[in-house]
Amino acid sequence: MSKGLQIQNVTKYYGEGMNRLTALDRVSIEVEPGEFAAVVGPSGSGKSTFLSIAGALLQASEGEVRVNGKSISKLSARELSAVRLRDIGFIMQSSNLIPYLNVMDQLIVVKKMGGKVSAADKTHAHRLLDDLGLGSKLKSFPEKLSGGEKQRVAIARALIHNPSVILADEPTASLDTQRAYEVVNLIAQEVKTRRKAAIMVTHDERMLEHCDKVYHLEDGKLSLVR
Amino acid sequence: MFLALKEFAHSKMRFFMITIIFVLTAWLVFILSGLGNGLSTLAASTFQNMDADYVIFEQGSQSSMSKSLLSNQLAVKAEQLPNVTATSPMGISMTTARKGESNRNEDKVDIAIIGINPGSFLEPRFVAGHGLSPDKPDGVIVNETLQDKGFQLGDTFQLDGSMESLTIVGFVENQTYNHVASVFTSLSEWRKIAFAAPGSDKGIPDPVNAIMLQGKDIRPSDIDANLPGTDTVTRGAATQGLPGYKEENGSIIMMLAFLLTISAFVLGVFFYVITMQKTHQFGIMKAIGATNGFLGRVILSQVFVLSLSSIVVGILLTYGTAAVMPKEMPFKLSVDLVIVYSVILLVIALLSSLISVRRITKIDPLQALGRVE
Repeated sequence: MSKGLQIQNVTKYYGEGMNRLTALDRVSIEVEPGEFAAVVGPSGSGKSTFLSIAGALLQASEGEVRVNGKSISKLSARELSAVRLRDIGFIMQSSNLIPYLNVMDQLIVVKKMGGKVSAADKTHAHRLLDDLGLGSKLKSFPEKLSGGEKQRVAIARALIHNPSVILADEPTASLDTQRAYEVVNLIAQEVKTRRKAAIMVTHDERMLEHCDKVYHLEDGKLSLVR
Repeated sequence: MFLALKEFAHSKMRFFMITIIFVLTAWLVFILSGLGNGLSTLAASTFQNMDADYVIFEQGSQSSMSKSLLSNQLAVKAEQLPNVTATSPMGISMTTARKGESNRNEDKVDIAIIGINPGSFLEPRFVAGHGLSPDKPDGVIVNETLQDKGFQLGDTFQLDGSMESLTIVGFVENQTYNHVASVFTSLSEWRKIAFAAPGSDKGIPDPVNAIMLQGKDIRPSDIDANLPGTDTVTRGAATQGLPGYKEENGSIIMMLAFLLTISAFVLGVFFYVITMQKTHQFGIMKAIGATNGFLGRVILSQVFVLSLSSIVVGILLTYGTAAVMPKEMPFKLSVDLVIVYSVILLVIALLSSLISVRRITKIDPLQALGRVE
């Protein structure tokens, strides 16, 4: 059984009977540790649903999702949140940091969700932030950070639990071209050095050069582009 | 607790305002309960502090001293009954004490004359002077509040509309009846005052208002069966039967009940609105992997810290208020009462925040993705 993320023949319906809408139609994708895949597609193509199912936020109607070798298709809501906490790192569209926590605490709170926080955890968080170039911003609140810095904090937050899968949802949406490049480059770098299976959902074609594989999603159908 | 405290530090103003609301509520609750307690003490402290377990009244007197009249000869019979360890008669009349012959307003003071047997278990312990003595039938021991009205140890005062004059031989504390100071005297002296008009004792030999009983296991029905024409109740029931006592307490308790109910809603709504404002944040945290339990604890610990500090401030303010209140104000705050109402307020706050916790469990982490598709 291989690690990383495997999605096999996943279909997702919304609604019932005549109103049934197929958001994803037998989607399969496999991402190995250390591989950075991109999913592009127009709006309405099912990107959100795809990301939600890959990120254990939503259960598939049919098919199987494996995270780090474990099937998550039959898990309860409680078990799913444990999977999200341990095995999946989310980097969201607009970084979505907690406004009343400073940079260091943004990471500590994720550790708290899993239980007690040790001194080693703090050192780990500190080193992670240093690696991402935020060493001088540990005590800053999100409102004092630039868009790029916020996104870097979000990357650090996604990595803090050392998950096997990284999901990035339009991580460059609110950034200018140069910052966007930096952020995607950083994600790619982290994915390689830390051996994560990563998927980036984006519509920004300029960002694809950092990715190993590019998939196209349209009308719920996923196809490999390159 | 971590998130709760971090958020306090970051949104000081918002939480400060809720704290103010809570502090005011707590303050009001404590003041009201102190006033209620003070009022009921003023109305009945002689009864509340009395070392008796049961009271024999005349049948049909609704447990009221003023409506009951029976013969002290019953006391002898009552003492023979099972489980009765001691008996002691008591009589109470309301009257006015007058210092000297003056007609000035401040020289007339309402008092309750309480006739007892000197040395019986009904005689309260004196804090100044000495106790009642059979050798000095016109000697009285009085509540120390009369000192504030200018009555001194050894003073002799007249009773309005009576030829009797009484001499203060001692002071006692916490003895008030029907909102006025209690004045203890011998039964014989009390009878002279209470039954000054011929025939007002209805021809009953050795008349008293009630007979107090000591004995933990007394069965009131036994007493009633053996002593025809009597009605035996617990001391608590006799306290309830004091004129106006139930009504007074009832109003205060009603006010407190309304206050607590309203504060439960007000606080609940506040917590709910704050939670609603943070729906998005909670969604993000859920997406990252926070469980409902984790987020519920955030809310509860926040409410707990907020409530506890508000209650503590409320208590301090209440004691501060009590310190500057005029002395005549019947305000009495016991530690027990403060603890009871603190716990009630804390429980109400936590319960009212449960609606917010319920709200959290319904937040969909998908919202955090911020996409609508």
